[in-house]
Amino acid sequence: MGALASLLGAIFAGLSTHDYAQHLDRQLHGTHCSFIPGLGEATGENPCTAAMYSPYSALLKDKMWGGIPISLFALGAFAFFFAASLYLLLARENASKRFRIGYFVATLGPFAASILMFIISLVKLGELCKLCVGIYVASIALFVAGILALMGSRQAFGRVARPGQPRSADSTALDPQPWHQNEKNSRALPTKVDTVTPVSAPTGSWAAPVFLFATLGIATALPAIVYAGSLPDYSSKIVECGKLTVRTEKHNALVKITTTNPKQQALTFEDPLCPTCKAFHDRLVSEGIYENLDLTVAVFPLDSECNWMLKRPMHPGACVLARAVLCGDKDGKARQVLEWSYKNQKELAEAGKADVADVRARVVKKFPELDACLDTKETKARLDNILRFAVENKIRVSTPQLFLGDTRVCDEDTDMGLSYTLQRLAPSVKK
Amino acid sequence: MKPPVAIAALVGVAMVGGSALFVEQQVRASKERLENPKPADDAPEAKVAVADHTEADYCTPKFKEVLARVVLACGLSGADSRRGCEPVDVRSFSSISDEDFNALFEPLVDRGGIVLFDDNSDVLDDGAKKLIEEKWAERKGARYFFIVARASKTGAAGYNEALSQRRANSSFFHLESTAKEKKEEGSIDKMVGMLWLGSQYAQLSKDYCGTWSLSRGLPAQPTVKGQPAKPGPKNAHACTDEAINRSAFISWVDCRL
Repeated sequence: MGALASLLGAIFAGLSTHDYAQHLDRQLHGTHCSFIPGLGEATGENPCTAAMYSPYSALLKDKMWGGIPISLFALGAFAFFFAASLYLLLARENASKRFRIGYFVATLGPFAASILMFIISLVKLGELCKLCVGIYVASIALFVAGILALMGSRQAFGRVARPGQPRSADSTALDPQPWHQNEKNSRALPTKVDTVTPVSAPTGSWAAPVFLFATLGIATALPAIVYAGSLPDYSSKIVECGKLTVRTEKHNALVKITTTNPKQQALTFEDPLCPTCKAFHDRLVSEGIYENLDLTVAVFPLDSECNWMLKRPMHPGACVLARAVLCGDKDGKARQVLEWSYKNQKELAEAGKADVADVRARVVKKFPELDACLDTKETKARLDNILRFAVENKIRVSTPQLFLGDTRVCDEDTDMGLSYTLQRLAPSVKK
Repeated sequence: MKPPVAIAALVGVAMVGGSALFVEQQVRASKERLENPKPADDAPEAKVAVADHTEADYCTPKFKEVLARVVLACGLSGADSRRGCEPVDVRSFSSISDEDFNALFEPLVDRGGIVLFDDNSDVLDDGAKKLIEEKWAERKGARYFFIVARASKTGAAGYNEALSQRRANSSFFHLESTAKEKKEEGSIDKMVGMLWLGSQYAQLSKDYCGTWSLSRGLPAQPTVKGQPAKPGPKNAHACTDEAINRSAFISWVDCRL
């Protein structure tokens, strides 16, 4: 059981590592997201991608681009457990009690890590990645295998003679002298009865668990060490994505967002109906970065209703929400409106696809005070000014985009490489 | 060494070593792709558009030819002190008939307007100023603003040409003051293109009265081609072929060059 669980865990961890390492080239890739190992490579937003981009997916994200994915530790650990489980399988009753204890204690590691990650997935990410669930299940199965191995050390092997009830083999309380042990039947079967000797696992040396933990440590760390040692140098890559040519919008059309501890000037181009913007916003908030930004937002709806740069609406209804953010700004509620849009993005996006008027109705229902402002010439002109600010800066027609000072943060650095990039371009926001 | 221990050790080394090799190979492959990315044409990001001004359907090659000549040949985009194009310039860069020239601007019917002047005058009345301000405010994503001034056929051609130029200038000066109020004065020189056509070139027909936004009250109902215009309000000027050409056509142009 332990070998099977380890093999399964290693496969899931290997796939997760593969997905993570693929993204080191800073290009777009899918992620495996299926309970069946190797299947379900999805390119869009999915829980596995969300988990991968989350701050919990890797260690030392500040120090290395993307950090060291925790799946590497799982990969090494499961590879080790496969060998340890194989030993138990082959040695059977010869595996010492102390080795079994060590094996059991060692299985607590993946089990505890899985429980922790499971809780984080539920509480922090709000969704479960199937690949991660595969690892959790493998860890639980391995833990059960550890328990079984431990129980095996307390159990005698072979046939048991209970104290005070010396019986020959095959005899029972109801049938103390089975038929084949009768004299008259003695010719039918051999009469020799095996001597009943309880066989228990040898106690063994403490060196076994010590060796077990040492090799587990090495095995767990080795893939991570190799990974960290092979990583490319990203220091020059993160500043290659251009700068703002026009730093300020002369009509004051941009939206100032109120944060609690503004330290670093930042400008974002965001579309309230863009899922990547929502994920990016959530990431900045969850990593504690958002409140440290002296943030200005240029609402940039990818909706041809107001944005002349598109031939068709990518996010119908986004113009209404962009105007709602601008109207909210008059009352100091821009952030509230933007975050409400992100929170209800799924419903609003569906409403926009069906009927844009429904998006407007939802805005007005939530923020009745914006009703009179939403469709005014002034609001539309303000949005036009923001879009023209984008033209002046020749930004790409995509969202989200982040500028720290006047340096554009590459799209590739807004997810896996975010901590690393911020540490270099704006270290104050990480404190 | 006992066989189970030996076998497990070998398998363990193979598994852990294999994992490390797998990781190294994965990272190396990504490093290779990072250092030698695919050609730009194949890369998905190459297809991401850059924010730019509007490009409307009416931006035909012929329309763009006119636009380009006004922008490039008539001193709009450079430091050239000369501003705007005279009829002779238009003749030289546009080898199309008057009707075809006017037809190029017809798709701007919902975008532009016609500022009307009194006979022998380049003075903007309140309606003219209001129309200029309104049209200027409706920029959206346009890059260029056009002023195409005309004069009626009444009078000498040379006089009409000068009058046409003054009408273009009046419109431009009012735009300048409007832009100044909106803090856009720095860029107006690079946005506004002017043509003064006098009375010799591309005269408008009175059909334009009913379909275009005019600065003065003219017939309330749109005219139908070939039928006389319906009477307008009491203070309205009658729409005639003469009246519609005492004018400056103004519009944002949603084309890129």
